[in-house]
Amino acid sequence: MKVRASMRLALGAVSLCATLTSFGQTPSTISDEKLKALEARQSEIQKTLEALKAPGSSAEDKARLAALEQQVKQLQKDIEALKTGSAAQPSPGPVEAKGLVTKSFPLFGTSGQVTSGTSFNPSISIIPDIVYYRDSEKGGALEMIEEADGFHGAHAEGGHEHGGLSEGFNLRETEIAFSASVDPYFDVWALFAASEEGFSAEEVYFQTRRLPAGLTLKAGKFLSGIGYANKQHPHQWDFVDQNLPYQLLLGDHGLNEKGIQISWLPKLPFYLQLGAELLQGENEKIANYMGGDEFPSEDPDAEPVTLSRQAGPRLFTGFVKIAPEIGYDHALQFGLSYASSQKHQEVHDEDGDGIAGEVLDGKAQLFGADLVYKYDSPREYGAGDLVLVTEYLFRKKDLDILGTNSSAVSKQDGFYFQAVYGIAPRLQLAARCEAAGLTNEQNENGVNSNFGTSKRWSAALTFNPTEFSRIRAQYNRGEIWRGGEKDKLDQFMLQVQLSVGAHGAHRF
Amino acid sequence: MKTFFASLLLTLAVPATAALNVVTTTSSMGMLVRSVGGDAVKITVMAPPDRDAHKLQARPSMMVALRNADLLVAVGAELEVGWLPAALEGAGNGKIQPGSAGYFEAAAQVPLLEGGKPADRAQGDVHPAGNPHLYLDPPRMATIAEALAGRLASVDPKNAERYRQGAAAFRKAVEARVPGWKQKAAGVNGVVPYHKDVNYLAALLNVPVLGYVEPLPGIPPTAAHLKDLTSRLQGQKGVILYTEYQSDQGPAFLAKNLGWPKVRLPLEPALEATGEDYLKLMDRWVDGIASAK
Repeated sequence: MKVRASMRLALGAVSLCATLTSFGQTPSTISDEKLKALEARQSEIQKTLEALKAPGSSAEDKARLAALEQQVKQLQKDIEALKTGSAAQPSPGPVEAKGLVTKSFPLFGTSGQVTSGTSFNPSISIIPDIVYYRDSEKGGALEMIEEADGFHGAHAEGGHEHGGLSEGFNLRETEIAFSASVDPYFDVWALFAASEEGFSAEEVYFQTRRLPAGLTLKAGKFLSGIGYANKQHPHQWDFVDQNLPYQLLLGDHGLNEKGIQISWLPKLPFYLQLGAELLQGENEKIANYMGGDEFPSEDPDAEPVTLSRQAGPRLFTGFVKIAPEIGYDHALQFGLSYASSQKHQEVHDEDGDGIAGEVLDGKAQLFGADLVYKYDSPREYGAGDLVLVTEYLFRKKDLDILGTNSSAVSKQDGFYFQAVYGIAPRLQLAARCEAAGLTNEQNENGVNSNFGTSKRWSAALTFNPTEFSRIRAQYNRGEIWRGGEKDKLDQFMLQVQLSVGAHGAHRF
Repeated sequence: MKTFFASLLLTLAVPATAALNVVTTTSSMGMLVRSVGGDAVKITVMAPPDRDAHKLQARPSMMVALRNADLLVAVGAELEVGWLPAALEGAGNGKIQPGSAGYFEAAAQVPLLEGGKPADRAQGDVHPAGNPHLYLDPPRMATIAEALAGRLASVDPKNAERYRQGAAAFRKAVEARVPGWKQKAAGVNGVVPYHKDVNYLAALLNVPVLGYVEPLPGIPPTAAHLKDLTSRLQGQKGVILYTEYQSDQGPAFLAKNLGWPKVRLPLEPALEATGEDYLKLMDRWVDGIASAK
């Protein structure tokens, strides 16, 4: 009953003129109110009319005069109608007239169709990314980084690579993003990466709109909420390339998996987000899965080994983000993350003969901590803005070497620190220093081996002609340990990134 | 740690206060909610008044505010498009999603200027839905206040009458000022704002906009554009209007070469501004425009 009454009031409000508000009043007082308001308005206009009629009025005044006189006539009519109680739909009435509504039809009827056409199209944006690349290793620098001591090993499954740059011009993945509300309950995002080789689903997920108590549920394929950089797409990076710890400990895409995520924002005076995910477990660096695959042994007399199977979800994550209130100009966020992979499988073929030397099966864990600080300067076009980000990742793999009684345990970590500063309107200077393998040890068959720490330094200068375009030059200097030796490398990148279509909104 | 959990529990245990929790994007919207709702509402403003509301980034504190909101009041017309959707997405509050009773967009309540233009970014950072800077138009703000009163009443029916009165008082205060403003601005040859943000006020006062310091919306002034403006406007009278976060260089160049005054004023009233404070700010803008005479 209460609902109906408020609906009736709402309908009344729609039909009333804009100068009146009717919420919370009974229909009869609405009429009285309206009458009073109309009468007041009429006398007001009458006064203006008198003033205008005074001698010395211009042509413009005459036009206004005519308009006002028209208004007075209309008001008079309305007032009469109200007084006689036959106002045209004064208060709650049906949305549509009852019974049949006569319409004039064309002679042979129209062959048109009443349709919303393409009006339901989702928001679309397209982000092309063009990179010119050179390095000191005849194009082999990226491969060298992948082969860093202690990190090389996991058998990489196929798939597209953000970082796969060849010397010269590169068309990196063009991001094609769609988003729309499904209904009052769900939103859908679909982000595809289109390359010369094909079209792949980078992220396709739905998210709830109205769960109670600050809960949000997300399911599909998405970038995990762990860490800080993990959620960012290449167009949100402050550098052309992915940072070193992510690249070596999680892969170039970070943790991008199919699964389900629940996040909770408790009702607190400061920001606290708690999240948990159940993920399929396919990430090549911490949850590589080849269950059921059989591998013949190097030793022709030995039995072939088979990797164990396990249904998904095989990867569980949890994360906490906390941000204190520090005013309008500053923002600070601290995050902790954990991922536990129930299945991580690797195949090592050191001699490259196509026959696996070692087949490993076990578990992996990842710990992460991140800290972000942003300063929003009062200057325009981003001048004076400062963003500092640092993250630390630690990975532990606990694997059995199949066909033997021995195991391989490895512990590795990495961190990056980056600063982005708006040196002038539309111009940003960014610096990044990063290391992978501060802890870089492997214990195989009880034998401990330690590897060196690979490092890289980067500087990038970015010019943003508008919010929708970006031109960036970047230089990297790396020291990568390979086979117990330190190799130096240089990389140079020139990037143009453009965004067309819907105006994107960026998360913190 | 114990005290932390104790305070956590305390925060959770405190019953929702009677006041309606309203979160606004800008301080002008905050002023409007304050004018209509008085102390029946608790207002949190997400964008600081001295920043360009179009260029902000989503911050965790915005999500905290939105998480606890009963009603979100935005300017709309994509002014906050760069951060509000992201902040809303992270807030986990179904009550205030666009399309719900808890979402109120000022731009959706009134007709907008400059709508229906082609959605072509070769023309700069355009807003095809219409100019979003409607907060510099007091009569439009009065209409928005009336719609807001209705919305507040629907969320909080027991205070309906006070909301209606608040909106009516705001309308009255605006209408008392408009004739004086028009008189002051009568005969002004024209203005050159930095950005398309003064357009509503100029339209209200019937003052022509002769050009913009920016060559295109969202593009900083270039030397060529400023020279072109100078030669085009040479010999005319006018005033250059800009705001705190817009650079002084372009306006200073034009002011020097055209011999015009330049007036730098806040676009948004202070965080705690009342309707009267807002109208005083509008007085200053009108005086600024009138200084072209």
